[in-house]
Amino acid sequence: MLRKLIPLALLAPLIACSANTTGTTGATTNSGGAAAPGKGSPSVGFIFVGPKDDYGYNQAAYQGSQAVAAAFPNLKVLTAENVPEDDNAARVMNSMIAKGAKIIFATSYGHLDAAMKVAAEHPDVAVVQQGNLITGAVPANAGTFFGTVYEPVYLAGIAAGKATKSGKLGYVYAFPITQTIDNIDAFERGAQSVNPTVKTYAVSTSSWCDPAKQAEAAANLLKQGVDVITQHQDCTATVIKATEAAGKYTVGYHADASSIAPKGWLTGSQWNWGPLYVDIVKTALGGGFTGSKYNANFRVGYKTGENPFVQSPYGPMVDEATKSAIDQAREGLKTGSPFAGPVKDQDGKVRIPDGTVPDYTAIEKIDYFVDGVVGTLPKS
Amino acid sequence: MTTQLAPPATNPLTTPKAGYTAAAGRWAGALAGALAIFSVLLIAKGANPVSVFGQMMASTFTGASVEQIVIKAAPLILAAMAVVLPARAGLANVGGEGQVIIGAVAGAGVGLVVQGPAALPLMLVAGALGGAVWAGLAVALRVTVGVNEAVTTLLLNYVALDVMLYLIYEPWKDAHGSGQPATPPLSVEQRLPLLSGTAVHAGIILALLAAVAVWLTLRHTAFGFRLAVTGGNPEAARRAGLPVARLLMTAMLLGGALAGLAGVIQLAGVEFKLRPGLTTNIGYIAFLAAWLARHNPLPATAAAFLLAAITVGGDSLQLDSGLPAATVNVLMALILLAVLGWTAKRSPS
Repeated sequence: MLRKLIPLALLAPLIACSANTTGTTGATTNSGGAAAPGKGSPSVGFIFVGPKDDYGYNQAAYQGSQAVAAAFPNLKVLTAENVPEDDNAARVMNSMIAKGAKIIFATSYGHLDAAMKVAAEHPDVAVVQQGNLITGAVPANAGTFFGTVYEPVYLAGIAAGKATKSGKLGYVYAFPITQTIDNIDAFERGAQSVNPTVKTYAVSTSSWCDPAKQAEAAANLLKQGVDVITQHQDCTATVIKATEAAGKYTVGYHADASSIAPKGWLTGSQWNWGPLYVDIVKTALGGGFTGSKYNANFRVGYKTGENPFVQSPYGPMVDEATKSAIDQAREGLKTGSPFAGPVKDQDGKVRIPDGTVPDYTAIEKIDYFVDGVVGTLPKS
Repeated sequence: MTTQLAPPATNPLTTPKAGYTAAAGRWAGALAGALAIFSVLLIAKGANPVSVFGQMMASTFTGASVEQIVIKAAPLILAAMAVVLPARAGLANVGGEGQVIIGAVAGAGVGLVVQGPAALPLMLVAGALGGAVWAGLAVALRVTVGVNEAVTTLLLNYVALDVMLYLIYEPWKDAHGSGQPATPPLSVEQRLPLLSGTAVHAGIILALLAAVAVWLTLRHTAFGFRLAVTGGNPEAARRAGLPVARLLMTAMLLGGALAGLAGVIQLAGVEFKLRPGLTTNIGYIAFLAAWLARHNPLPATAAAFLLAAITVGGDSLQLDSGLPAATVNVLMALILLAVLGWTAKRSPS
């Protein structure tokens, strides 16, 4: 008789149930009495989606975290790598908060949902997310930040456009998010500015770092006759090595990988997160996070300040004419834009009219490939 | 003629009831051996094993961590049952991962069109049906043309992933989701409720009920007995008049349904959106849990909790001891190798 009742007893907790509102309610105003997010925090936490020695995105973020450690010797810096872009990230961030961290950096694009959930649960913790955009009201203790990556990528596109002999460039990317679309478009426009008939072939791997898919994508591009390859991936070595082995040119991304492409390296773009990370931490420690420029979707570029994304050094094959063309373009970007009109999409429709110079917010809304890019975006 | 890849399940018809203390002793010895080897690796990395284990224990047994272990274990238990039940009939269900994904996809699909209080129960049912259909594809091939289900279920995992990716990239993509492929988030009433006072969702109740149900079925019902006979010797079962094909199909469909349920509770309890990495190896880890327990339902539940605890405790290896992220995988692998290698039952000769 008792045995039959045991399963019913298991149902008892169901009676005491509450609705699952985790992450849906958040403090949008700093209610009086709550501590300023991050003020006087004894430690800072960083989570990375990949390994800290991936020669790319995560390594750059890790170096930024070490710059914070160097700038604030009394601050404990907690780091966690290989944190997936799902609810596990919330668990790891909560562990860091349990260890006293009141400032958290969620450094990958897909960490936003977990970061917002954690921010809603801990109003006294400043949570900043790298690369994504908060839609709707920005909570008092959260923000996103990024550099205008497409500006140095535009400059690198100029080098690619000048170097290519086949007129075909290749771009291996992960997900069709705005940053990536902006990059591919800017790369093509940079190349087009010096080589009007050049085309960029865009291939997606659906993963930030999957060496098998990357090798396959690179092989396919090379078969098509592409002779300059670049990428938007977290780990960059696989594609670069494949391109170098085929004797073609490489344009780097996230890191200076010229040592693995001694002959084919043209230029690239890489991160220098240190100064920006240090400034964010300083703002939060002093209690000034809420209402600051970081308590928003913060973007900085050539027009507005120090872009944390900088151009990589040149390789041996880049001639002086190209270098001076790039220097001129960089000057021009202070007032102009890689997307200064007219900008046509792949169907020939004019998206940005002649004479318009879009600002950074407008550029982050671009969801189409420009004329000259070969590849399809998923229709939604 | 199909070869069985499932191990001979510890068959209640032939397992001696004595010997549990000896088994426990072997388990303890194996775990101690694994920890000893792990300690050597820690010393080689420059860490102090005593403080590493101490911090792991301290951080794993806080209230918040225990909640996280329970949350992680819920889908693992269901997916482990998805391996255990077909294994009793001699089937190797390696397709937990794919069935979990399709279960989550089915649940998300229902969530897109149904709102209100009816949504959640419908999503759970849809998830179970989705997983069952996915497993059904494999077992149908097994009973009609004899294709080994271990191969078909494994390959269907990749197909399932591509199905999900297609859906979240195109028809179901959240238009307001800043470009990353994911479905719109579930509304509050579509989510599994939390056990009040905790952060744990009600999926754990479903998981524990399922584990008890599987145990009762296999041990105390005629159906369970027939599965055991089929698993022990399908030819004898056929000659004894048992409907072997129907039994295999039922076992696999039930297994798929359990895995599909795991997927939908992960969606409705934790993630609330379909994402590319949604299932993060739930199916594969649960397969390991089922093997650790030699395909017995209640030990498999305990193994699921153990693996969940190691994953959560692994955070401490990075945060407290500064070890590389892969260290927790090394620990899990050592434990698995030690247990599988040293705790095999000595068969009476």
